[in-house]
Amino acid sequence: MLRISQITISHLPKSRILIIVTLLFFVVCTNTPEPGMRVVSLSPAMTEIIYALDADVSLVGVTTLCDYPPQARNKPKVGDFSNPSLERIMGMQPTLVIVHLPEQRRIQDQLERFDVNIFVSETRTLADIYAEIRKLGTLLNRSQQAESLVHTMQADLQPISPARRKRVYIELSPRPLITIGAGSFLNELIELAGGQNIFSDLDKDYPIVQQEEVIRRNPEVILVLHPVAVGSRSGWDNVDALKYDRVYADINQDHLMRPGPRLVEGFNTLREIVGE
Amino acid sequence: MNKYLIVTALFVLAVITGLLIGPAPLDSTILQLRLSRVVLGIFAGGIMAFCGGILQGLFGNPLVEPYTLGSASGAALGAACGILFVGILNPLFAFLGSLGVGFFVYTIARMEGGLLRDRLILAGVVMSFLCSALVMLIMVMGGRELYEVLYLLMGYLGVIIDASNRWYYIVLMVVSLGLVGFLYRYYRELDIISQGIETAAGLGVNIERLSLIIFVVTSLIIGITVSMVGAIGFVGLVVPHISKLLFGAKHLRSLPASFLLGATFLLFADTLARVLTVYELPVGVVTSIVGVPFFIYLYRR
Amino acid sequence: MKSIVVNTISFAYNDDAVLKNITLDITEGDFVGIIGPNGAGKSTLLRIICRILHPQHGTVLLFGDDIAQMHGKQIAQYLAFVPQETYFSLNFTVEDVVRMGRYPYLSPFQRERCDDRDAVDRALHAAHVDMFRHRQINSLSSGERQRVVIARALAQAPRILILDEPTSHLDLHHQHAIMELLGNLNKEGMSILVVNHDLNLASLYCRRLILLHEGSVFAQGTPGSIINEQTLKQIYQTDVTIIQHPHKNVPQIFLK
Repeated sequence: MLRISQITISHLPKSRILIIVTLLFFVVCTNTPEPGMRVVSLSPAMTEIIYALDADVSLVGVTTLCDYPPQARNKPKVGDFSNPSLERIMGMQPTLVIVHLPEQRRIQDQLERFDVNIFVSETRTLADIYAEIRKLGTLLNRSQQAESLVHTMQADLQPISPARRKRVYIELSPRPLITIGAGSFLNELIELAGGQNIFSDLDKDYPIVQQEEVIRRNPEVILVLHPVAVGSRSGWDNVDALKYDRVYADINQDHLMRPGPRLVEGFNTLREIVGE
Repeated sequence: MNKYLIVTALFVLAVITGLLIGPAPLDSTILQLRLSRVVLGIFAGGIMAFCGGILQGLFGNPLVEPYTLGSASGAALGAACGILFVGILNPLFAFLGSLGVGFFVYTIARMEGGLLRDRLILAGVVMSFLCSALVMLIMVMGGRELYEVLYLLMGYLGVIIDASNRWYYIVLMVVSLGLVGFLYRYYRELDIISQGIETAAGLGVNIERLSLIIFVVTSLIIGITVSMVGAIGFVGLVVPHISKLLFGAKHLRSLPASFLLGATFLLFADTLARVLTVYELPVGVVTSIVGVPFFIYLYRR
Repeated sequence: MKSIVVNTISFAYNDDAVLKNITLDITEGDFVGIIGPNGAGKSTLLRIICRILHPQHGTVLLFGDDIAQMHGKQIAQYLAFVPQETYFSLNFTVEDVVRMGRYPYLSPFQRERCDDRDAVDRALHAAHVDMFRHRQINSLSSGERQRVVIARALAQAPRILILDEPTSHLDLHHQHAIMELLGNLNKEGMSILVVNHDLNLASLYCRRLILLHEGSVFAQGTPGSIINEQTLKQIYQTDVTIIQHPHKNVPQIFLK
């Protein structure tokens, strides 16, 4: 029985399957109007950049994390940031998929087997961000806008050189303690804003560090980018930031964590905190 | 007599190095920080080794430990669920996971009357795999919580103690140590069970009741421990063997020795981890890397 | 005085009936052997008497008390069981093993008292293993180990000793030594109940034999009354010749 059914399937004319599949695709296609450029962005930052470049008509798919600007929430979803669905992405018939590394290396590998352009966003420095904005501008036929966006950002992110740089500790997670290393654009941003990241000697972008190491490096400013309170930690009493009440928790972490246009707002917040 | 002195001295040495060695210059607040870390280390290492020793005794199988019986994996799964769905590491979830998996394993092994020891271990290992798979699923679904789950799986002594959790930890530790004391009273039964279930039953040991008690109580203790410091592997498997090699078969001696050796071992491993890098290494990584060669050396001797 | 009364016991594993409505009793001071072919239910009967297994129907009375109502340790103070197999997965000393026999008398963390130590000493002596006292159990031969296990049972200071094939896997010397040991214990007043596959040994040492067949008591009585050619032919489907033992007045069996 098994053999017979296998033979039957393999002998079914291939052309017929092709017709069925094409018809199905046709049904899907007729539902979406805009032809030409079809972009799926798996990176919330790149989604923001696309809107900033006024190219959102080409945007056909985003992740559930792409929540800014608010209109972005209305775009079709292809999954969440850490787990986008390959089928949903390909279902959007994209001409360009933007992936963010290192988190999305797996989906990148999978996408490479398809006939689709992949834009790899891997931002470790501010220069990377500018380069990516320009590159995206070229791809989306918005070079002009991209150039002016980069100029505005560069103008806004003017480096500050105080007499003495305050030691800054950014905490991304309390358990384990995750912070910012030299490999992150945030490290650069802190320095631009006039501070000194206490873990700038570690090459990794998001190193996991020991409590004692934080205490030893004695930050003067602590930025808490997670919801857990940093009030009465045992052993932290002598840390300057706690002694002088310079722990900042109510910061919009998207302004700091997303390598996009809103970094300027994060920078301004940082400048206020560090420059005080 | 010498052995006792050496083991006690090693333990004291482990505590002292744990308190004195570290990246930050020593002052009273750093001492306080290290003290809580050392206490957690003593607690977690001791508990894991003690429970391993009890379970190996009960099931007469040298491969049994909180991991192979599914309890530790169940606790990790429960805690991971807590992280994902509630957003905090909730000990309740951990011991519900531990108890749930424990009971499931126990029920599979108990079918058709009598407790089948081989089946218990098989069921435990199978459930461990299932739990690991589910934890992986949770890790894939989670975003930034991924690291927390990862450290939960490998063990993490760098827990931040603050006003919100200090008493909570103290109470859980006291409860667990009380339960450890409660389990210790079964040392004679464990000696006897090592000679076969029929021998034990003939001497008046109620095996079924004893198995149930030990199973439930160890699940509870392991759940609490995992929720606090993660599932630190290897200690529970190997330390009881070392303890028996040094102090003989009698559980009256080997169980407290397991506790002490487990604590010593974990403290040394943690001190090493803290000195090696500025990064926070999961302590389970160190226990395995340091422990395996040490164990092979001891066993070949 | 009856030390054990087995009252209409039935037992089945799942649906396979192993024991069918068994009734028998053991008089205090008796030396009883249970014999019968493989699968007759001999070991199962012993386990039920020791409350290791629980019968679906019937009761076992130990000196008049229903064992189902008794505490495990209480039973173990009257009755000591030597199972067919003892494992020594952990390497205890001989003395440690024998001291385990005092378990029924001790509560958790209670230290052994004088009478506990005396009982251990007496048991070591009675089973002729006191010279091994400090040796590791795994360094002994299987015959010596069996004597240690009996010593552990004796340390319980039981009034009845129950053994499941104590002489299987043993050489002639140790078979004899074990059976002589049981005979001496019996002379000092201890009741003995033993399952034995070796009919000649059973006939030689037991005062009374119970022949089990297919889960029922086929016959019971003195060795002379039980061991005869017709019965053995019927139960074991084997032709045998039976002659009297040259020194003791009991039957011995020879295969044809």
